[in-house]
Amino acid sequence: MSSPDAEIWPLAVFTLMVLVLVITMLLMSWLLGQRRREDATNEPFESGIVSVGNSQIRISVEFYLVAIFFVIFDLETVFIFAWAVAFFELGWHGYIAMLIFIGVLTVALVYEWRNGALDWGSKVRVGLKEAQTLEAQQATHL
Amino acid sequence: MNSDQLLVLSPIISLSLTALILMIQASIKRDHRIAWWISTLGLLTTLLSIYSASNFSQDVGPLLKVDAWGLWFSALLIFCALITLALSRDIFHTQADTKEEYYLLLILSTLGAVVLVQAAHTASLLLGMELMGIALYAMIAFPKSGDLPLEAAVKYLVLSACASAMLLFGFALLYGATGDLSFAGMGAKAASGYLNNPLLVLAGAAIVLAGMGFKLSLVPFHMWTPDVYQGAPTAVTTFLATLSKGAMFVAMVRLILDGQLYRYESLMNALSVVAVASMLVGNWLALRQQQIKRLIAYSSTAHFGYLLVAIIALPHLGDTQQLGRAAISFYLVAYIVTTLAALTVIANVGGEEDSDMQAFDGLFWRHPAQAITLAVAMLSFAGIPLTAGFMGKFYLITLTLNAQLWLLLGTLMIGSAIAIYYYLRVIFTMSAEPHQLNKGSPTVLGWRNPVALLLMLAVLAIGSWPQPLIDLIGRL
Repeated sequence: MSSPDAEIWPLAVFTLMVLVLVITMLLMSWLLGQRRREDATNEPFESGIVSVGNSQIRISVEFYLVAIFFVIFDLETVFIFAWAVAFFELGWHGYIAMLIFIGVLTVALVYEWRNGALDWGSKVRVGLKEAQTLEAQQATHL
Repeated sequence: MNSDQLLVLSPIISLSLTALILMIQASIKRDHRIAWWISTLGLLTTLLSIYSASNFSQDVGPLLKVDAWGLWFSALLIFCALITLALSRDIFHTQADTKEEYYLLLILSTLGAVVLVQAAHTASLLLGMELMGIALYAMIAFPKSGDLPLEAAVKYLVLSACASAMLLFGFALLYGATGDLSFAGMGAKAASGYLNNPLLVLAGAAIVLAGMGFKLSLVPFHMWTPDVYQGAPTAVTTFLATLSKGAMFVAMVRLILDGQLYRYESLMNALSVVAVASMLVGNWLALRQQQIKRLIAYSSTAHFGYLLVAIIALPHLGDTQQLGRAAISFYLVAYIVTTLAALTVIANVGGEEDSDMQAFDGLFWRHPAQAITLAVAMLSFAGIPLTAGFMGKFYLITLTLNAQLWLLLGTLMIGSAIAIYYYLRVIFTMSAEPHQLNKGSPTVLGWRNPVALLLMLAVLAIGSWPQPLIDLIGRL
């Protein structure tokens, strides 16, 4: 049995080498590199183009929702594919388990739909009936 | 899967069904009251199913181990969830327009906690912990008004994610050393793994315990606790302080016992350091808190330090291991019931925003029932005779004496002595002359009074007539 110290020294050497390498690279470029101080030197740029506007933009939260739904239903297909490959081997047990799984996901989908998570644009977080009466009210106002 | 296994799993199935029904209800017709009733009925059904499952005790697949111990704590956690439900009935009345999701999150979090206490495998441990945690982040941030809940939720989320990552890394190291992910398999193979490579086993176990220590807010991982306790709605604080921490501690005990981590002396020494630090730092930081929720937060750090002593004492006990398990169970029950009592009063009196100590000035004259409950809870925290906390401490000290851990015993004594100061300060505040601001009309408590009284009676009953509970715990 080798002692823990013997096993850990390559790691220590490796860590040291990483540090030396990084320090050398920074030092060399500082010593040998050219130094400029012009108008655009310290400005951020992307692919050679000076950036426009700032980074504090607001992104509609709907993109986030769509991304989340994608992850959920993407995973669902992964599980269903894995089950379909072994359909005959898993038999009735697998079938029932899959029914439960898809049933839960269907409930989740109905929930999302009824809460307006699938609507693009303005959100009305009420049930369908209330939404319809609301729309009717708005129509009469117009 | 035979019918026995289905019966044993029925608490988990019943909770999952409740969550599904709540989702269907929210998509058909949103109604605050109906959602509350569905959750309450679901939790009561789960309690019944735990009772019917208690005749069986078996492993279900590799993931879950359903035994009397796990079922007892599941029942206790469901009780915590029920009290939280009772407290949350009114608080979100005027706030968010969609309140139904709160109950859904509460049920999901409870489900995670129940899975956690029955986990026998690292996968189920992680699943339970994440389900419990992720639902909790949303519950903490549920009130739409104010920045504090949001701040608390973000702090808890970020730090919890770090803790989960540590836990996973630790499991990976342990898997590397033993080639097994179930607690029992790990325990059986860790000895030979330790001979091959002691560092891997020790580092893995230490990182896993650090990740769990975060959830239990043991000292060096306690920083999040006061902010989250203060920022969360009081009902959610109750939930976090009792259900989340209790479930995590049971899982930790299972991992240490089944995974036989107690055999490694250096690991136990590290745990001793954490326990001593938690007892001292927790009590010391609680001394000068002006916010009562922050005080409870630091005192919870200290209490889990005391509980850790019981775990450390276990391997030293030899053939009286049963005493160790009984001590852990009893102290956990006492702590959970006392915390429920204290936070119920804080929710009733302090309201949502104001948990400042001043709100409790002269409470004895304004709400005698509430004040007495809080006083009993504080005495129980401090470990004064005739309360549940005293019996719990009595158990712990007996255990530590048997195990002859003098340093831990001394720290436990010092910690308890410091603690008496700040617990009594709360009682003195309540008995002081009523504050000018608080002389106005008393808030109507209605049926919230009986909840607090019930919990106070439970604390007193466990403390003054503990024999039934001792018998019950002894049989687990």
